[in-house]
Amino acid sequence: MRQRPSIFSGRNEGVPGGESSDSSSGPEQTLDEDADMTMNADDSNTSIGDLVSFKRMTVSPPSGARLKPFSPIYTLPPELLIAIFRKLSSPVDWRNTMLVSRQWASLAVELLWQRPYFCEFKNYQAMVMAIESKNAFFDYPQLIRRLNLTFIADKINNGSLIPLQKCTRLERVTLTNCTNLTDSPLKDILAANPRIQALDLSQLEGITDETLLTVAENCPRLQGLNLMGCKGVTDASLIPLSKNRRILRRLKLSECNQITDETVLALATHCPQLLEIDFHKCHQISDSSITFLLSKLKHLRELKLAFCDLLTDATFLHLPASKSFDALRILDLTDCNQITDDAVDKIIKMAPRLRNLILAKCRQITDRAVISITGLGKNLHSLHLGHCSNITDAAVQELVALCPRIRYIDLACCLRLTNQSVQVLAQLPKLRRVGLVKCNNITDYAIKQLVRRAGEGVCPLERVHLSYCMHLTVEGITELVNNCQRLTHLSLTGIPTFHQNAEYTKFCRSPPKEFTDGQRAVFCVFSGSGVKQFRHYLNQQAQMVRLPPRLEDDDDHVMDDGLGGVNGHTQGTNGAHQGGAQGGMGAGMGGHGGQGQQGQDEVDGEDQDTEGADEF
Amino acid sequence: MAVQIKLMSSDQAMLVVDKEVAERSVLIKNMLDDIGEVDEAIPIPNVNEAVLKKVIEWCEHHKGDSPSTNDEESDSRKRSTDIEEWDQKFMQVDQEMLFEIILAANYLDIKPLLDVGCKTVANMIKGKSPEEIRKTFNIQNDFTAEEEEQIRRENEWAEDR
Repeated sequence: MRQRPSIFSGRNEGVPGGESSDSSSGPEQTLDEDADMTMNADDSNTSIGDLVSFKRMTVSPPSGARLKPFSPIYTLPPELLIAIFRKLSSPVDWRNTMLVSRQWASLAVELLWQRPYFCEFKNYQAMVMAIESKNAFFDYPQLIRRLNLTFIADKINNGSLIPLQKCTRLERVTLTNCTNLTDSPLKDILAANPRIQALDLSQLEGITDETLLTVAENCPRLQGLNLMGCKGVTDASLIPLSKNRRILRRLKLSECNQITDETVLALATHCPQLLEIDFHKCHQISDSSITFLLSKLKHLRELKLAFCDLLTDATFLHLPASKSFDALRILDLTDCNQITDDAVDKIIKMAPRLRNLILAKCRQITDRAVISITGLGKNLHSLHLGHCSNITDAAVQELVALCPRIRYIDLACCLRLTNQSVQVLAQLPKLRRVGLVKCNNITDYAIKQLVRRAGEGVCPLERVHLSYCMHLTVEGITELVNNCQRLTHLSLTGIPTFHQNAEYTKFCRSPPKEFTDGQRAVFCVFSGSGVKQFRHYLNQQAQMVRLPPRLEDDDDHVMDDGLGGVNGHTQGTNGAHQGGAQGGMGAGMGGHGGQGQQGQDEVDGEDQDTEGADEF
Repeated sequence: MAVQIKLMSSDQAMLVVDKEVAERSVLIKNMLDDIGEVDEAIPIPNVNEAVLKKVIEWCEHHKGDSPSTNDEESDSRKRSTDIEEWDQKFMQVDQEMLFEIILAANYLDIKPLLDVGCKTVANMIKGKSPEEIRKTFNIQNDFTAEEEEQIRRENEWAEDR
């Protein structure tokens, strides 16, 4: 066994003709902050080159080195070669770079290994073989900093994780959806990795407090923890975990429905740096603990309390009047249906810089709450008032007048709203998403008003939800798709004119797997290129009705006749479709699914689901 | 009339440059901030005349760039090896000059130029086999056959995302 010098210690020896350019201000060596976790962050301060250890590598000159011809590349010091290799950002290029020479291998190996990426399980297996190899060229397990097994989650089981116990320098671990995992060997891996900063165990229903107690004991640097759907986790581990967790910033406990107020109190007491918390569906949480949490965490940026149905106005009303949350940007109170106008009013006064407010299914709120919300003024970007059916046109009008920067508004099932509300929404210059599912009073007229822009104005709408707006016809929708060239999503579920016409539905995306036959029958959602094709088809039809047939260059669709009543704009074909089909835009359908009502609410649920995909 | 300063290259050539242009170099800027106005030439001991001229040419062309767009390197999405056309032409020099420019940009602390230089070299590596890379840069393969085979085997899992 040869010695293990540090990678840079003898760098000039291995570089014939190399001059020692001691650049103190070398290229930036911090790792890029790619969000490979739900918690993207300024968390990591990984630096390369401080640890590569060799098993069999020496950087002393190989025999005959002195006879090598001079080549200009040898003038570059290692840190600049690394800066160059870093630009490659392709694992295959890094591997080829490693095979060039000993020096290049030693410099590129960490770039390849610090964040191994697997699309296929066989690649993971091959990597594991290298980790396990007795005489490996490099000490590979020590090079891995970030591990993300999400893409091969279904193939991962406890056995496939065992070799990872050799890793001791992990900083970010993402095991989302690796549902076959239980506590062991996961806890052994976590115990060996005190540098972990971000840990994503979402949907690991098989893990228990045992794993989290290991984290509590061994991972003092933890800044982000995602335990969404870890239903086995209880206060018994989360209370100890809260302690000595002064730098914890992001925590998702969604659907950890065993946790109680005790966990909330412990977090509030011991984790002063918490910025983002998600208690989605933590049904046992009550007013007093959240009030305490709010009183302790002034810097909170994001608080999600969706479906915490024990919460009442008291949560907020019991806070002192002087309390302010200037940092709070996102508040989610979906289905906290005991919340009334009084709480909303207090919230807006305390958190005047809220950007994203979700009050869907807070069924008691009225126009008075909306008037309070207008106090957010230009700060408000996104507002969800779905199922707040007391709301009237007057409130929407006031909202639009005072909150001109709204980009996303959802008014699904606000049954009192009429064309008037839709018309005023047209005044929002940045409106990109609008949800009007089941707003059954609205007609083509309102849609036309919504999408028409004077002069050169471009309609900014990208995602439009109009399911169950029964009065809408082909005419209004043709106008919509032609005026909204940025449109990437249009839902028209439940409107017979559309879902019953196979010529339209062939451009739809397929319904989510969990939908019943009844739901599938009425499903009608266009997304990505489907919108483009639908637009093209509608225009063709309109032309056939209005004009004599004409040669169309890019058209090889089979023309279908017998489509009466088509009478839309004939804007012709257009190549200027913007925005592109964002892959995976509507992905992530699980989660909210099964509301107990008919197929109708499912679509509404679907509309909510896509919300997470939005910017904010 | 813009304020001008003098730079002295490693081979004792004197170059007169607009202060604003020279200050694209953080090293020079810091020096000027420290010593204030000077009549004497600032020595640049690590960069010869030919390279320094080239670097100044680049700084002159990019004089108007806003600093914010140059500093976007932290954005990992921009790691790609796209290079704007003028810079591509600028970098069409022999390898010796190319690496000298990179060394000078590093020494003088001109991040955007260093960046363009690194991207240019990265583009010469991209998509090539190890043997092709060696040929491109005239690098000697100092692995034994067994070692090369071992590294290949241990890293064959790498796939592009």
